[in-house]
Amino acid sequence: MNTVRQLAFLSALLGTLSGCVTATVQQVRQTETAMAEGDSIVVLGRRNRPSQAEAELDFIDCVSRNIAGGNDGLQVITEQEFMDAMFPWFEPRTAPLNTTDLPGLLQEPLLASRLREIGLKYLVWVEGSTKRTAQAGTLSCTLTAAGGGCFGFLSWENDSSYEASVWDAHTAKTAGRVSSDAAGTSYMPALVVPIPLIARVQNSACASMATQLKDFVQNSS
Amino acid sequence: MVRPLLLLTCLLLGACTGTKRAAVEGAFPIPLMAKTPVNLGIYLDEELVAYEHKETIEKKGQWEVSIGPAQPALFENLATGVFESHTFVATNVIDAPWDGVLKPTIKEVQFSLPDQTRSNYYEVWIRYQFQLFDRKGGLLGEWQLPAYGKASNKNHGSATTGLQAAAMAACRDAMAFFSINFNREPAIRQWLAAGKPLAPAPSPGAASGDPQGTSTTVPQGAAPAPAVNTPASPATDADDAADASDEGNSA
Repeated sequence: MNTVRQLAFLSALLGTLSGCVTATVQQVRQTETAMAEGDSIVVLGRRNRPSQAEAELDFIDCVSRNIAGGNDGLQVITEQEFMDAMFPWFEPRTAPLNTTDLPGLLQEPLLASRLREIGLKYLVWVEGSTKRTAQAGTLSCTLTAAGGGCFGFLSWENDSSYEASVWDAHTAKTAGRVSSDAAGTSYMPALVVPIPLIARVQNSACASMATQLKDFVQNSS
Repeated sequence: MVRPLLLLTCLLLGACTGTKRAAVEGAFPIPLMAKTPVNLGIYLDEELVAYEHKETIEKKGQWEVSIGPAQPALFENLATGVFESHTFVATNVIDAPWDGVLKPTIKEVQFSLPDQTRSNYYEVWIRYQFQLFDRKGGLLGEWQLPAYGKASNKNHGSATTGLQAAAMAACRDAMAFFSINFNREPAIRQWLAAGKPLAPAPSPGAASGDPQGTSTTVPQGAAPAPAVNTPASPATDADDAADASDEGNSA
């Protein structure tokens, strides 16, 4: 009985731990930025070409939620809402590739009017992805009539690299860029029960990018 | 004893190789753009509305992608955003004051799974063909529209939902491409510029149709512009007279 308790305690203890993540955030500012009352921001994934660096939907969603959250949360339009409201101008085949394409797009009166209506100030294009860069170890599990269990050790390393380009919808210029990189190793030792120690790499990259973007669009300094 | 085992084996094999079904589901947006001054009937025939693509992929079993049932909703929203007014019709003939009939057809569908392309994407290609008829069923022009959609397997847990998302993306792509390019199609541009006349009657012995089905048919000979018809103005004898005049001039 004691062994079971010890194992349970060990599982609970290890469950609270997680793999380590190293995150780096950088930004390049090109113009001054500010958010006024009623201004909103949208975070979009670049999907105009079949690229392995297409940002995951849950990453875009995570950045949007983090920008909208907290005491200093901004007004955020979700990617799907924005694409539906602006259809067909921001679809993969029709979306502007550069800020130089924006003025032409804004000449479409209905589009310009809709942008004013939703109060869009900044448009953030995100590119990048999270990849598994290395993995090692083995783990095997057995199930018998008398019971079952796993034995072994697994580890894997994930690498997130994302870059956000911030467009000013009012001036049709690039306001700057924010990049977020994170790397971390996850472990899964198994002695009867597998205990995952997951490094939340993508989550860390998301939180770092959202914090930086929130700061970037509100403060010009 | 043998029968239950055989049944169990068949069931297990069926689970591995059974038909996987994906259907286009979800709401379509309405294009945000200046409407083209045209009032069209939309003819969605049974073949289009029931369109289903079936394909057997080695080691992946049989797949069915149902695209047809979503077409009425797609064209309803597309037409709402692009045309001044529209109505759904069951034939390629329509009374004044409507200007003509648009008939879309799906000519081909292809899809690929991530394993096939060694990528992270489910991909769907749809090739539409559009035909524009005048009120009396005369072909004014036809053109093809290739649409493409993809969905990352990182965003979709199962192949069915991935393929579904890719098919939805292809439908949106078709809508986007159609709405932006409708006015730019040579046949449409000329027809609108000429005041939406009836198609010229085919001359006897003239070759009909394009065997490849890839070129745009443009009305031959400039028919004089008739009185502009709008659904706001009820059909009148004058309209019919103008139609007759068009036919007479173009014959």
